[in-house]
Amino acid sequence: MARNVSKTIGRGVVAIAALLVIIPLFWTLLSAFKNRVDIVTPTPMLFFTPTLDNVLYVLERESVRAGLINSIIVSGCSVLIGAIFGLPCAYAVARYPMRVADDIQFFVLSLRFLPPVAIAIPLIVIWLDVGLYDSRIALIVTYSLLTLSTTIWLAIPAFKRVPQEIEEAAFVDGYGPYAIFFLIALPAAAKSLIGAIVFSFVLVWNEFLIALMLTTSDAKTLPIVASEMTQLGRDVPWGILNASVILLSLPPLLFLGVLSSFLSSALKTRKQG
Amino acid sequence: MKIRTKLPIVFTAPTMAALAVLAFVPTIDAINIALQNRDLSNPDSLYVGFANFRALIDDPRFLNSVSVSVAWEILTVAATMLVAVPLAILLFETTPPAVRNGLCVLFIVPALLPRVSAAFVWRFAFHPLFGLAVYPLRLITGQPIDLLANPHTAMFTVAIVDVWQWGLLFAVIVVKLLETLPRQPFEAAKLDHARTWEIYAYIAIPMLQAPLISLVFVKMVESLRAFDLIYVMTRGGPGIATETLDMYAFSQGFIESGRISYASSMAVLMMAATTIAFTVLWRWARRWRET
Repeated sequence: MARNVSKTIGRGVVAIAALLVIIPLFWTLLSAFKNRVDIVTPTPMLFFTPTLDNVLYVLERESVRAGLINSIIVSGCSVLIGAIFGLPCAYAVARYPMRVADDIQFFVLSLRFLPPVAIAIPLIVIWLDVGLYDSRIALIVTYSLLTLSTTIWLAIPAFKRVPQEIEEAAFVDGYGPYAIFFLIALPAAAKSLIGAIVFSFVLVWNEFLIALMLTTSDAKTLPIVASEMTQLGRDVPWGILNASVILLSLPPLLFLGVLSSFLSSALKTRKQG
Repeated sequence: MKIRTKLPIVFTAPTMAALAVLAFVPTIDAINIALQNRDLSNPDSLYVGFANFRALIDDPRFLNSVSVSVAWEILTVAATMLVAVPLAILLFETTPPAVRNGLCVLFIVPALLPRVSAAFVWRFAFHPLFGLAVYPLRLITGQPIDLLANPHTAMFTVAIVDVWQWGLLFAVIVVKLLETLPRQPFEAAKLDHARTWEIYAYIAIPMLQAPLISLVFVKMVESLRAFDLIYVMTRGGPGIATETLDMYAFSQGFIESGRISYASSMAVLMMAATTIAFTVLWRWARRWRET
């Protein structure tokens, strides 16, 4: 009896937690389709005449389009750089006995611990001096630090999880070390590696502080453009703001499935390994 | 497998060289700038030694931002763990696996959102006049309540959003960790009529001590970079009630005065503090793994 009661209470708490995720997000989605009069009501309105005005306004704004293009180019390039240079490095650390392997891991992880503001402030001066301040190149180079360190850190365990026997068998079959990496190890670890790369993408797509400090107009990314929506007029245009929040949040959410299974498999093998 | 190959050098050297340049150029330059009196509006500058650091000690706003950062750090790390562990246990105990897996996916969603988005979702929900989250309060008191404009509640309100993102994500991680634990100790304890809370307090949580402590470290580092959340929700306000170190460094170096050298001296202090903390933790974690 007591066990049943406590189980019901436990389920209630879990249900409340789930609602705390769903309701604010659902409300944001609803408000993106509301007219201003339906948002600015003392009693929250669940039923209303939907409008596409907010969404169209956001999509048609020049600054949003520029921000979207900047975000896609900047995160695309830096993720690519992170993968091209990070994956081989992670493989070498995972598979070859090196005296510096531990130092590399320490260095790479310590980069994730650096406060972004501490990097961004000197970089303002550096990029101003080189004449690349407020450019996509400056952002891509700066973000590569994030994507490289993240990709390496997450890919090392992914490569270690590949059974060594497969690679040894390939060696016996006459594959060279590079062929083993490209033809055997990469495909075998592909699923986890994609998870690692997607994770680095979400990280730079969501990045705010560095972009805020390193851009003023030309290279602004989408999070910066969205954060400036509050300055459109005297009143905060909440409908438009909600629509831009949705646009900004869609890309990371597209990868929800990939990342959630990446998380599960990373934690499962942790125990056995 | 013993192969004579240059692969390790070929694969690591260029990447590590690039990373070293990307990391050391800004950090060394941060120190260099911190020793000057550089201004964003004026390219000429002189070396002034430790004048910026001496000025920091006498700057009440800097001291305020240090104490705000410490308070934020303690509040969010504690709240995240206090939400994550009990919620994970409830999930593990009361829901069947299929439901649990679905909820785990749902609980990852807030952490995936850009912080700017999460901040706006909740700033909207906390709007004094038409916010959904404060609607019940509005009904009871009959007047608008602006939690973000009140110096006593602003930090707690921002912390709610932080825990919404991290507490739920950590709950998912703890659930997955609980699932990897062997069942036998639990069953043995049940045979001995241990209560559920006793099983967790004396068996499960001690078994997960190492990963739980690493989660605390991850959150400590993560809480240091709450800039986006605070920037969107309060901009450090009301007054300087939620002005953390990075927020203050940003406004000194960027918005208010362009005192880039002064801001840089704060950045150097933050870097030194995190580097020392991280090195100690890394050594400690390695010893943990080896024992």
